[in-house]
Amino acid sequence: MILFAFRAEWFKAVRRPAIWVTIGLLLLLAVGVFYVVIYLVATHTTARVRLQGTDLASLRAGLYPGALVKKALGQANGLDGIFALILGVLLQGSEYGWQTVKTSNIQLPGRLTVLAGRLASLALLVLIMVLALFAVDALASYVIALVDGKSTTFPAPGDILRAVAAALLILGFWAAFGVALATLFRQSAMAIGLGLAYGLVIETLVFGLLGGLGDVVTQVHVWFPIANGTYLLQAFGADSGNGGGAVAAVPTTPEADATHAVLVLLAYVLGLVILSGALTRRRDVL
Amino acid sequence: MSSTNIVETRGLTKRYGSGVVAVQDLNLNVHRGEVYGFLGPNGAGKTTTLRMLVGLIRPTSGRATVVDGTPGSAQSLRRVGAMVESPAFWPYLSGRDNLRVLARYCGAPEKRVKSLLDEVDLSQRAREQFANYSTGMKQRLGLAAALLKDPDLLILDEPTNGLDPQGMADFRELIKRIGQGARTVLLSSHLLGEVEQICTRVGVIAKGRLVAEGSIDELRGGSRLLIRATPSDRARALLEQEAGAENVALADGVFSVKLDPDKAGAVNRHLVEAGLEVTELRAGERSLEDVFMELTGTEGGL
Repeated sequence: MILFAFRAEWFKAVRRPAIWVTIGLLLLLAVGVFYVVIYLVATHTTARVRLQGTDLASLRAGLYPGALVKKALGQANGLDGIFALILGVLLQGSEYGWQTVKTSNIQLPGRLTVLAGRLASLALLVLIMVLALFAVDALASYVIALVDGKSTTFPAPGDILRAVAAALLILGFWAAFGVALATLFRQSAMAIGLGLAYGLVIETLVFGLLGGLGDVVTQVHVWFPIANGTYLLQAFGADSGNGGGAVAAVPTTPEADATHAVLVLLAYVLGLVILSGALTRRRDVL
Repeated sequence: MSSTNIVETRGLTKRYGSGVVAVQDLNLNVHRGEVYGFLGPNGAGKTTTLRMLVGLIRPTSGRATVVDGTPGSAQSLRRVGAMVESPAFWPYLSGRDNLRVLARYCGAPEKRVKSLLDEVDLSQRAREQFANYSTGMKQRLGLAAALLKDPDLLILDEPTNGLDPQGMADFRELIKRIGQGARTVLLSSHLLGEVEQICTRVGVIAKGRLVAEGSIDELRGGSRLLIRATPSDRARALLEQEAGAENVALADGVFSVKLDPDKAGAVNRHLVEAGLEVTELRAGERSLEDVFMELTGTEGGL
């Protein structure tokens, strides 16, 4: 039955323009902003101008294939995460907007089966998004290295695989967060709004303001998702300060290691899936 | 559950958190193979009942059995096709692809999609986006979706809503065709003409309660004679002797007597022989509309 539901959900997803526009836009931004724009800045900025927190040489070095892992993971907790959230909301929230929740639930026995099929479909889309991000980043870095006459050597395949897994986990959290919010509010607009607010402001703001209160706040913060995404990225040496809203509130030296981060993020994904399942199963379809 | 019933509810009640009772103590009996009309004014609780029967909402109390299973269970849904309220589909997909999605959900073969599109006369427009469909096309697609599983029970909630007169007539013919044979159709409507034309038995719901259930003839109360005779007190005594006091009613100077119209001659003779003046005598039938208004106490929704 889950296979039936997955086939139906996947059939819908691959034919939905909004899904591919979302993924395509993210890839465009990943290359356009984080390679092309930075390359132009690094190439055409006068030597007197010093960019905040970095210099032109290290900015340029970050564009070469050797820095692929660091670069590709740089936005996992920021822009990429927000786009994964949007994917989750698109898949779940639209069903409420179109009232197709009733249509699918009447056809197939089991609301949870429908949800399981949808989540499997979403997981596959997030995997495609992550792989595509790494692919376009790799291509962009290779071209820049060729133009600059620098080394085109990529990091070891094992390192890249581990980075893909880390990105998958972080983006998986964001996508599951999107599904849970859309299920909770039974709509897309509220889910995207609150998801964005949390990702860009809430965790950052709260812990940023409370940061001065000492260890107790830090010990609480190590159980929050954005902080743990950042700990995981920092284990890869990723420059995670580019976009993740909450990153600024996380100290440069991680308060928790990668294992802690992975376990906490997995717990969040599981918790959000259970929450979505409980709401789907329990509530009336109006 | 009785073996003749494909849908049976006992004490089915739905109360919302706000205190509103949408359906109260509903005892519904839909027989196998019939086209059952579920009649009621707008807001009477028809859609809430149908939603409970397919498991979209849970009753507050009471129980329901739908095709030998509890509503929404695998056992039940496998054999139930439903169109509840206006048909809802994925707007960016074509009509055909929408049916293909649903066929995947329920494991129906792909070839059934094509045959159903033919059956509901939608093949020519099957590749157009659902978002561009007219109301009639959407209703037809909804009917095709409900038929995907070749269900034993077809539940249709006000299927002709929003259609023009020609569309309504076409849709009724379609439902009649689909309801032939062993399949049971449970059709909710507030359109009396529609129910009268299509249905074999009827349940009437008002303010969340089932106020009547039976064949249309039973609901109308059978045949009757309408008689105007004077003096009326003597006429009443004679007619009550003839038909029984409980079968005689007087309204606007006309007696309505529950009697076979074939007995009109004999009744006339008795009245005249008793010295009464008979100025009008004809066969009369209560329309379903009369019955409906009497039962629901409303003129709304007609």
